[in-house]
Order: sequence, then structure tokens, then C-alpha cells
Amino acid sequence: MKGRKLAEYLIALSVSVVLALVLGGVIMALSGHDPIEGYSLMIQGAFGKPRLVGDTFAKAGTLCLTGLATAVAAQAGIFNVGGEGQLYLGAMASAIVGAKLTGVSPIIGVPLCLLAAMLAGGLYAFVPGVLKVKLKVDEVVTTILLNSAAIYFCSYLANGPLKTMDRGVNAGTDKVDPAFMFDKLIRSSSLTQSIFLTAIIALFVWYLMRKTTAGFDMKLTGQNGRFARYSGIKSDRLAILSMVISGAICGLVGMFEIFGLHKRFITTVSQEFYYDGMLVAMIMRYNPIGIVMMSIFFAAMKIGGLTMESSAGIPSSLIIIIQSIIIFFMAAENGILQAFRSWRAKKKVALTLRKEG
Amino acid sequence: MDVIFILQNTLRTATPVILAALGCLMTNHVGMMNIGVDGMMLIGAFSAVMGSWVGGSWLMGLAFALGFGLLLGLLYGVFVIKLRSDEFIIGVALNIFAGGVTTFLLRAITGQSGTFHAPGGDVSTIPQLSAPFLDNVPVLGQLLNNHTLLVYVSWVLVILCWVLIYRTPFGFALRAAGEHPKSLRSVGKSPEGMQFIASLMCGMLAALAGAHLSLGYLSTFSENMTNSRGFIAVACVIFGRSNPPMVFLAALLFGFIDALGMQLQDYGISSALTSIFPYVGTVLMMILVVLRSRAKSRRKASA
Repeated sequence: MKGRKLAEYLIALSVSVVLALVLGGVIMALSGHDPIEGYSLMIQGAFGKPRLVGDTFAKAGTLCLTGLATAVAAQAGIFNVGGEGQLYLGAMASAIVGAKLTGVSPIIGVPLCLLAAMLAGGLYAFVPGVLKVKLKVDEVVTTILLNSAAIYFCSYLANGPLKTMDRGVNAGTDKVDPAFMFDKLIRSSSLTQSIFLTAIIALFVWYLMRKTTAGFDMKLTGQNGRFARYSGIKSDRLAILSMVISGAICGLVGMFEIFGLHKRFITTVSQEFYYDGMLVAMIMRYNPIGIVMMSIFFAAMKIGGLTMESSAGIPSSLIIIIQSIIIFFMAAENGILQAFRSWRAKKKVALTLRKEG
Repeated sequence: MDVIFILQNTLRTATPVILAALGCLMTNHVGMMNIGVDGMMLIGAFSAVMGSWVGGSWLMGLAFALGFGLLLGLLYGVFVIKLRSDEFIIGVALNIFAGGVTTFLLRAITGQSGTFHAPGGDVSTIPQLSAPFLDNVPVLGQLLNNHTLLVYVSWVLVILCWVLIYRTPFGFALRAAGEHPKSLRSVGKSPEGMQFIASLMCGMLAALAGAHLSLGYLSTFSENMTNSRGFIAVACVIFGRSNPPMVFLAALLFGFIDALGMQLQDYGISSALTSIFPYVGTVLMMILVVLRSRAKSRRKASA
């Protein structure tokens, strides 16, 4: 995006965000809450204490990775809606490896866990990727259905064959070796060392998407597959590769949750984290730098929403409503702009006609 | 294994998928792939329970669901047709919005979260029907009797939709809006108008599907209760190529897989494991349909 287009986009984005926040305030008022109190609680809840700042940035890391995962696949023209399932499988695979390797030096153990998470997520994305590229099976539907399949499968493992003997654990696998765990950076927050890995991955994805020929070829594939193929790009292979990278990132997100917070696979490892990131990516039109920045904003809303709920009783799902309204506005941006222009043009014509008449 | 029990459950679990798929195929015929049906179903399920609770009658529940379905269809139409937004993005946004808005309203209206329990007893549910003369027929009676109203309605709607789409001038215009919008315009009809009508019908049918989920057998609403059934409906539409009877069969196949899984739970197989069946089964169905059409076109090419 250059110059005028970028400016137009930024204006549309800020107008959408402000309008969505205003609508959110109206909803608060209608349900009998004070919007100003609600939003100030949200800000306090996101940045008020070091612990909360830590939570916000941890959340931003998750959103940023899932958003970038969406963007990598989207760059090659595949809409990966299956990140949630890839995340679950990555979490499960790394939890299994992390528990089995107990006693091994972390220098060997942790990379193997990372690898397991990437492999599980990547392979699970490979399937719908191949189906899309080779057989033209719609990837949106397959990835969503595979989400449910993966979540049920992991729940089966955690309740059945891999259920831990540890007391007090309802549904979960054995603990991973404590030496493999990511240390917390801020006490009692969920910000862990995994944020450094997140930064490296984000940098890698940005570099891949914007600075390499592979990224450029992916873009061509996504924009016009036939043209890309004629110009000698192995577009099928690139599209599948982008899907595998997307899935591998999602797998890592799952692992970071386990190795940072839960210590073992539990069935509630993710609460639709992938969909939150996908929203961010769609709003930012798959722009990697934009995704990183918007992640922080969305994370602040999500974490702040918790305080809003506990202190003022405003359901935190209001945040989801606000975020989806932003998406609606951004998706309709061109249409609204055109409608506005034609309305203005009509008005102008009417004015000149009146002057002449 | 109780075969009749499985078949009975097949008809029951297929119903919401049939209804949602009928809605989805309407939009498919006018050239819009609506993956937002899942969200439309969820809001339908929620508004049906609320309507029945507030209005004190299942009829009010259905009326609420249909009303909100109409609104959702309008919303989808305004964004996709009028404002030319990407249909996938709007569909995804609609699904996420539906999850948020139902959770929010459940908390805001009733103060409950997770699952709705009507204060002061159950809400009124959609009645179950049975034909007395079938009671004496051994298998058929057990199979076809004692379903809720919407099960039978869905069968009637399959036929009605087929007639409407393939045997009436309206259906002709509907299909033309998707396949040859320019020729439709040349005879003085607006393709956008047809798209809007399809979108409204889709909203109502999807909401009806949701109403069957919440008021059919359970009389309750729980967060995310559609469980991606809307997407299974989309897959059935692809599988049945938007032809109502074919889509109906695809939905029955899904219902059968689901019911089979439920039966297997009685044999000690984990419910989490059997819950995977319908999803994987549907993905396999989608692969099959592509392979089949490929084989067909190859045969044509060699002939």
C-alpha cells in the first residue's frame, strides 16, 4: 500500500474502530451500564498493574502469531480457518514429547518439543492445503470441520489413553518436565520467555512475506494463480508450503500455552484464540506489521474486558461484538466509500442543476 | 445394535442440517457462498428460546427465530450485495459476532452464562407429532412417529424448495441471478433483488434450524450449541450441488454417521471419539464429490 491508498485505509480503519467503540458504548448503556466507567475499567484492566501489562503483552503475542499464521496462508490465496485445530494438535504433540523426555537436558528437549508442535500443526494444515491445491476442495469448510475433529480427538486422548494419574487433574496428560517450561517474566502474569520466540517468529514471517522471492511468488499465486503458473512459479507447492508454515505457527502457539502456563495438555488450552487472531489479520488486510500493532490493541481490549466484567458486571463477550463490528465496517469500507461518493456526486449534480435552473 | 434407534436418531440429527442447508443452497443458487449460516443458526437458537420463555409459547419462539433470521438475512444482504464486501469475510465475521452476541445477551438478559436454565420451570418446546394410524405399522411407525414438528416441516420444505427452484418462473430467475445475471437484467429483472430474496430466505431457514436445536428436544440454549453444524450444512450443499433432494440425502448421511456414533457410545466407545465421525465423514464426502466430478469430466473428455 502506497501513499493515498494507505492514508485512505488508515482513515477507514480509525473511523471503523471509533464507530465500533461508540456502538459498544451504546450497547453498554442499553444494558444498564455506564460506558465511560466500562471503558476506563477496560484500560485499567489492561495496563493498570505490571501483572496486567504482562497479561496484555502475552495475549498480544498469541494474537500476533495466530494473525500472522492467517496472513501467511492468505498471501498464497488460502483461507486457513483451521488454526484452532492445528493449535490443539501442536499443544498435544509437544505435551506428549515434553512428558516423555523427562530428565533429558533442556537444550535437547525443548527444541524437540518445538519440532513436535510444528510438525503436528504443519501436517494437520498440509491435509486441507493439498486438498485445496490438488483437488480444489474448498478449504474454508474443510479447515473448520477439521477443527472440531482435532479438538474432539485431543479431548479423547486427554480423557482416555493419555489421561494422567496425577490427582486433582480432571482431563489432562502427564506433566512436561519442569526444566522445559518457559519462565515467567513478570510474576503471576502469563508473560513468559516464549514472547522472545514469538518476536523471532514474527520477524521471520515478516521477512518471508515481504523480503524474499518466495514471499513475492506466494503473493502472485494468491492474486492470480494462473498467471503465476505461466510465469514459471511453482505455485501449487508454494501454496501448500504457506499452509504448512501457517499450521506450524499455530502448533507453536499451542505449545507456548502448555509450556508457559498449563504445564500439561488440558482440554481448555485455547478459547478460540485462533479466531481472535484471524480477526486481527483480516482487519489489517494480512499486513504483517499492521497485525503486530493491532494485536496489542485487541489484546488490551480482551484483557481489559476481564476487569470490566469482574468489576462492573459487563459481560466480556462485548469485546467480541466490538471486534466483529470493526470487521464488518472494514469489509464494507470500499462499498461505503463508493456509496458516499455517488451520493456526493448526485448532490453536486442536483446543486448545479438548481443553480442553472 | 438397535437399527431402528439409529435410523430414528438419523432423522432427528439431520433436521437442523437439512434446514440450514436449504437456506445455504438458496444463496448458492444466486452465486453467494454463505458460510455465515452457522452464526445465523446460533442466533436463531438463542432467539427461539428467549421468545418461548418471554412469550410463554413455542409459537412465539419460532416467530422470534424467524424474525431475527430475517434481520440476519438482511444484514448479510446489505453487506455482501449492497456494499460488495467479501462474502467469506462477512460470513466469518457473522459467525464470530453470533458467538459474542448470544453470550453477551444471555448474560445481560438472564444473568446466566454457559447454559440457560429458565427460572421457574422449562420453556415451552415444539410439540412432537405422530400419526395414530402408523402406530400399528411395525417399523415405519417407530421410525416416522414422535418427531417434533420441524422434522416434518423440513421434509415438506425440501420438496417445496425443489419445486420453487426448478419448476417455477421465480426459481428460474433465482438461478439466472447466479448464472447469467446479465441476461436476467435484460428481461427487466434485478439480479440484486433475487440475491436479496435468497439471502432473506437463507436467514429464516438457518434460524429455523437453530430453533430446532434449542426448542426441538432440549428446551435450552447453551453457548456455541451449533457445534459447527452450519458448516456441515455448507458441505452438504456442496455435496448435493445445491439440489434440494440431493442435499437432503447428504444431510441424512451426516445424520446417520452421527447417530451411529451415538449408538457406539453404548458399547463403551468414548463420546469424544465418536464425535469426530461426522466431521471427518463430511470432509471425506467433500473429497468424494470432487473425485466423482473429475472422473465424470475425464469420461466426457475421452468420449
